Amino acid sequence: MMSSIRHYVSVASCFARLAVQRQLEYPLFLFSWLLMIPIQYFSGIWMLKIIVDRFQPLNGWDFPELTFLYGLALVSHGIFVVFFINTWHIDNMVINGGFDRLLLRPMNVFFQLVTSYVNFIGLIDCIPGIIIFLYGCQLVGFEWSFFNIVKLVLVLLGGVLLRAALFISLGTIAFWTKRNGSMVGFALSMLERATMYPLSIYPFVLQALFTFLIPIGFISFYPAVEFLGKDSGMVQLPFSLALWTPIIGLACFLLAHWIFRIGMKNYESAGS
Amino acid sequence: MEAVIEVHDLVKEYIITKKESGLRGSLKSLLFPQKTIVNGVDGISFSIGKGEIVGYIGPNGAGKSTTIKMLTGILHPTSGSIKVCGISPQADRKSVVRKLGVVFGQRTQLYWDLRLGESFELLRRIYQIDLAAYEETLAILRDVLKLDEFMDTPVRQLSLGQRMRGDLAAAMLHAPSVLFLDEPTIGLDADAKHAIRNFIKEINRTRGVTVILTTHDLDDVEQLCNRLVVVNHGKIVEDGPIDTIIHKLAPYRLLVVELKQPCEDLVHPAATIIKQDGLKIWYQFEKKRISAAELISDLSQKLPIQDLSVKEPDIEDAIREVYKTTSAV
Repeated sequence: MMSSIRHYVSVASCFARLAVQRQLEYPLFLFSWLLMIPIQYFSGIWMLKIIVDRFQPLNGWDFPELTFLYGLALVSHGIFVVFFINTWHIDNMVINGGFDRLLLRPMNVFFQLVTSYVNFIGLIDCIPGIIIFLYGCQLVGFEWSFFNIVKLVLVLLGGVLLRAALFISLGTIAFWTKRNGSMVGFALSMLERATMYPLSIYPFVLQALFTFLIPIGFISFYPAVEFLGKDSGMVQLPFSLALWTPIIGLACFLLAHWIFRIGMKNYESAGS
Repeated sequence: MEAVIEVHDLVKEYIITKKESGLRGSLKSLLFPQKTIVNGVDGISFSIGKGEIVGYIGPNGAGKSTTIKMLTGILHPTSGSIKVCGISPQADRKSVVRKLGVVFGQRTQLYWDLRLGESFELLRRIYQIDLAAYEETLAILRDVLKLDEFMDTPVRQLSLGQRMRGDLAAAMLHAPSVLFLDEPTIGLDADAKHAIRNFIKEINRTRGVTVILTTHDLDDVEQLCNRLVVVNHGKIVEDGPIDTIIHKLAPYRLLVVELKQPCEDLVHPAATIIKQDGLKIWYQFEKKRISAAELISDLSQKLPIQDLSVKEPDIEDAIREVYKTTSAV
């Protein structure tokens, strides 16, 4: 068991090192990300400010609270793209045979899929995320108590697992359809809308959908509701809203892993 | 001989949907798909002994790649059994792939942007090769495959031949006992092909590695393989030593005659003219019916012969016979 863990850690760290080296081969590409990503998200939050200033708070959420929510969503997005970006490319791996190569190695396939690419560039996504989140914390007067910090870490962890679960499940479709490229774009914009803005501004059907069926409301909205003492909208849930996130995140991730295994079985029996 | 690979009654079914032409056809197959089951691999059995080099050949779509994928545990068969080194790749993929090296000529497992050595280091960790054994194997590979010339060049800048040498080395690092090569010489120049063939012979001789090779290059087969398995339409058509297969499938020889001047009466009762190009005529004849000497003496009596040569059929002729006869089915 110990030696097996050592084996996986040693391979994962080698994968990570190689991934960083590969990205450093293209410094100008790296630089263009460094330019684009902050522009994208800082202008996003600026837009939100204009809307709230000109019109009115969004369903009771004022600008400081919106900044907190936006920042929280962005940080978990940033961590996700660092560690799980390979889940966006399952269809490519199925088509170009990269997936066959994973099956030819004496290691767990899911592990190889996830760890084989650490997206070092994704750290750039974290920069505006952290800045906006800290700014939001300051605006709302977030209390940095030990209990709150633990909760925050659990929320981020759960949020990242939730995102990963969503993309793994969508990627698994490629085992049947061979193609699912547009699914990634679709899921990304869905995530942005459901995590960066209060879920309670949407109609009841969408709130219920993002709470029970595709529970991405737990990535940032419900935790923010608890941290800020807001109203969770029409869907009422018992227990600490923030602590639901790691539980649901873990459950969804395990479910996605199970779906992935079914997909892999289908791949093995259907071929390509 | 100890069997390294045992395959029994292997079947792989594919479901394909029949498509009709045009928009109407597309819609029809969308709403009422006509699914038919096709056997990509249709009841294959063979056994390969330790240290053999086997050429696994057949036309495109004959089921070669599918078979290789099943032997290496990538795909699961519909029915039938596979044992590689005594273990079923479907039951215990990880144990089996540890003993296998696999090279796909059309794809690489090397990191495109990095030097060769980086990919090797990753493989060393994946296969948990201890450092001493790794250094030793690598030294041999560097020597035989002449890797030193390009060990520190990013893979994207390698020539196809160099890249293939790199891929072979990558597949051999963990000292596998079976090596699967799927078209290892595709697109290579004569020099690179020569290097690759030498390497395959070398590891087979010194390490007793069993090699299964699919290829369309029959020179590969002729120079490397002591045994040939020919598949077509998912079935094994021939399985045996190359000479036997040639003899069985192409029991004829060719006599090429060049005339001094055009002649009218060219026919001979025991030989057929298969080709004529100006003054050059190709006669095909069976050894059993007439000897080369007899045919030459018969023909020289009625034809003004300038020059002649006798050709033995080669593996290419034999394979062409296989494809010809079975594609009629």
